[in-house]
Amino acid sequence: MTTAINQSKMDELREIAVEVLEVEDDEMTETSMFIEDHDADSLRAIEILARIEKKYKVDIPQAELPNMVNLQAVYEVVARYAGWQA
Amino acid sequence: MILEHAELKRILPHRHPILQLDRVVEFEPDRRIVATKAISGCEPCYANLADDADHAFPASLLVESMGQAGGVLWLHSAALAGETRTGTLIFGSARDLTLAGAAYPGDVLHHVVELETVKGDNAFMRGETRVGDRLVMRVESMLAVLREDTELAQREGD
Repeated sequence: MTTAINQSKMDELREIAVEVLEVEDDEMTETSMFIEDHDADSLRAIEILARIEKKYKVDIPQAELPNMVNLQAVYEVVARYAGWQA
Repeated sequence: MILEHAELKRILPHRHPILQLDRVVEFEPDRRIVATKAISGCEPCYANLADDADHAFPASLLVESMGQAGGVLWLHSAALAGETRTGTLIFGSARDLTLAGAAYPGDVLHHVVELETVKGDNAFMRGETRVGDRLVMRVESMLAVLREDTELAQREGD
């Protein structure tokens, strides 16, 4: 799936992810893996999800969590539920 | 609604000496709880402490105590709503935690915890702990979760 990226939205998602995963901004790329590269676990994942839901006032099912493996994947999932247009 | 110590044992799995809550003095389901814990010199954490050591109640136990207040808010609200919750109650995380003061034997902690969101078996809360008017601790975000024992056993074997 290809999604045209809104860079400011991507930056907001990055801000949430680096804060929850406690990594430096430049350590995380759009394709670096939360679990394998940034030591995420299921608790961190649910924190990221909850913060995204609060920020964008969107409801994302927990069933999407396994798909949210890196920033790019998170963007695609959130774009789908929040109705972000390219 | 007031919940006495014995009633808390029906809601929380914790027992002496780690049941760090004495009484619930205010309870608004799904919204807010006010719970107290009296700190005594008889606590196990003071048993082997040197006479001239700092007798401030350990921060880890302050967080545990507040977390238990949050657990009661979440689980008792669910029970009142007729929801069945299973699994082991686990402290997930505390973020933006400020230790603003210390509490000592003789002090009574007042925790005020608010439930922010519940996402499946995960509850997000925020809270403040005071002794009288004095702020001791503030936690901007706290996560408590329920996990099935099978899931926990799997993690152990990773």
